[in-house]
Amino acid sequence: MNGMGQMDKTNHDENTTLEERMKNRDGKGWLILWPLLSVFLGLFSSGMMMLLLGHNPIHVYWDMVNFAFRDIYNIADIFAKATPLILTGLAFGFAFRSTLFNIGAQGQFYMGCVAAVFCALNLKGLPSLIVLVVCLSASVILGGLWGSLVGFAKAKFNANEFLISMMSTYVALAIMNYLLRGPLIEMKGEYPQTDVIPESSWIPSLLPHTRLHWGFIIALLAAFFAYFILWRTTLGFKIRAVGMNRNAARYAGIDSRKIFVIVFLISGGFAGLAGFMEVNGIQHMLVQGFNPLIGAEGIGIAILGNAHPFGIVLSAILFGALKVGGNLVVQTSTIPSSIIGIMEGFVMLFVILSYYIQDRISVSRSKRQLKAKERGGHK
Amino acid sequence: MILTGLLARALQMSTPLMIGSLAEVFAERTGVMIIAIEGIFLLGAWGGFVGAYLSGNLFLGLLFAMFVGTCVAAIYGVMTIKLKQHQIVTGTAINIFAVGIGLYLYRVLFGVPLLPLTVDPLRNIPLPFLSRIPIIGEAFFTQNILTYIALLLMPIGCWILFRTRLGLIIRSTGENPEAVDSAGLNVEKVRLLTVLAAGAMDGLAGAFYSIGFLGLYTNDIIGGRGWIAFAICFLGNWNPMGAFLGALVFGLADATAIVIQTSGFKLIPNEFLIAIPYILTIIATISRKHFNVPAVLGTPYIKERK
Repeated sequence: MNGMGQMDKTNHDENTTLEERMKNRDGKGWLILWPLLSVFLGLFSSGMMMLLLGHNPIHVYWDMVNFAFRDIYNIADIFAKATPLILTGLAFGFAFRSTLFNIGAQGQFYMGCVAAVFCALNLKGLPSLIVLVVCLSASVILGGLWGSLVGFAKAKFNANEFLISMMSTYVALAIMNYLLRGPLIEMKGEYPQTDVIPESSWIPSLLPHTRLHWGFIIALLAAFFAYFILWRTTLGFKIRAVGMNRNAARYAGIDSRKIFVIVFLISGGFAGLAGFMEVNGIQHMLVQGFNPLIGAEGIGIAILGNAHPFGIVLSAILFGALKVGGNLVVQTSTIPSSIIGIMEGFVMLFVILSYYIQDRISVSRSKRQLKAKERGGHK
Repeated sequence: MILTGLLARALQMSTPLMIGSLAEVFAERTGVMIIAIEGIFLLGAWGGFVGAYLSGNLFLGLLFAMFVGTCVAAIYGVMTIKLKQHQIVTGTAINIFAVGIGLYLYRVLFGVPLLPLTVDPLRNIPLPFLSRIPIIGEAFFTQNILTYIALLLMPIGCWILFRTRLGLIIRSTGENPEAVDSAGLNVEKVRLLTVLAAGAMDGLAGAFYSIGFLGLYTNDIIGGRGWIAFAICFLGNWNPMGAFLGALVFGLADATAIVIQTSGFKLIPNEFLIAIPYILTIIATISRKHFNVPAVLGTPYIKERK
């Protein structure tokens, strides 16, 4: 018996409460309460950290809210920041529905960036719409192919996808850094970065004089696409079946190896698309050390959003607001920017704790029901 | 000369990988993957630096690193073992958190220094007699104290795991927790204590990067080395000797990259050399066919619910 397969089996056959929670979405209205409570506790704990530097957390948060919603530019920026986060969140969340761990969204994102910037730089003079469509497709395809290599390794060699996707990020980073230092380097050849891409390849803005661009709409469509695939198609049924119980899926005639490749292809495509959004929508160039945490934040967002596409959209907007407010507070006070990471980390940890508490509550409820039934039986 | 330098560097670079992967072997033998290893390495590096800088004593720095590592492992252990939450998800959360908190507390303690703060890293201790052996003497026996500790830990780890009652308990907990339970032992306690010990070792391994040879702390000081230690545990087939060999191979890859970089050899791009350990991990993970995975790895132990 091959051991890795064994590990996979135990990983999702047994009673892992978080996964069960994440997969059971039998629409209880107050399900939204738990994420909100977790967010509140996460921000509260981060506030305690601010006290260490002698800042009053109430003032800081008040400033943050004021900054984030001060004017239309900042409000639009929340959604601009949320755009790539929705996509990296989907990159993790989509694979998670199949109990696959795509930790490599960061690398797939880099691949998408490289593809987008390469196409944009080499398609000068073509009509804007064509350039944009080519850049978008190229980033999705390259990100997807890079991701599907992980799925392929899993399908063909039964390799641990968690490790491989993790490692593939570092390889992608090396490839991007090499390209930026060599073939893609700016004309001046001074810094490891590309030239600014021609204006025809910029994603048009959605609101004039803000950074919000049409990419946000595309990201929403991508979330809807993920939802549609997962819950409205046979493929999605297979993907979720493989996620629930690989053995049962096999007896139902589903080839889970094919599913592995497809899931990683789609997941990688989402992350690659995030690269297109950041390059063509915001930065208009590619520099070294670009958005180094976007993949990890996607994981946090997917967990907060219950690995559901619509939950991911909402949590990405929340993280976007934290970023916009956080960045402005950081710029205008002496609070270091790492506070944003702390807020995100605390929120994640409290979300996980809330899964535990929810589980306890449901266990004790079913116990009570059982007792009530027994008493009823005795009468 | 080059060979001596290469071997010395290889052994040096493999030191934290040895300690980290040995810790991972022990934890995974009880059924718990320490996914938070990257974060523990990072905060261990932080703890080592802070302890050494504030006390002016490298030994206290190492102790503090172990303490920090244990604390982080305690959070991870309680959440995954006691509260039975998913190991990969919890570990990822802690890894993100570690990046933020390390930088933040550095700032809390030291403000914004104009130049990066430094301490004198651990000095190499040439062992008497042995260090005079030509070529390998200078390579293997002129290392810092952590390397010697790591080299001692490997056989000790092997002995504990396969020759003692404790090792038997540890291995059984990962293979058949029900049996351990019915023998009157507390499965969760065994796991938690092992994870705490592994956390201390991971903290020590992390401290190697900050005070073992660089003498400073930056936020990207680990750069995925924790993941490599994690991978080595897999590739070494959950066996301390396998982990030892794996760590040596990766140390050699790391050292080769550094030696080629500094020699000004331009034919191979730098980035490729940096990527070698990661590519090696992927190849090794793919080509390894027969694994001896602990049966309940990654699964919380749930007694029958009453």
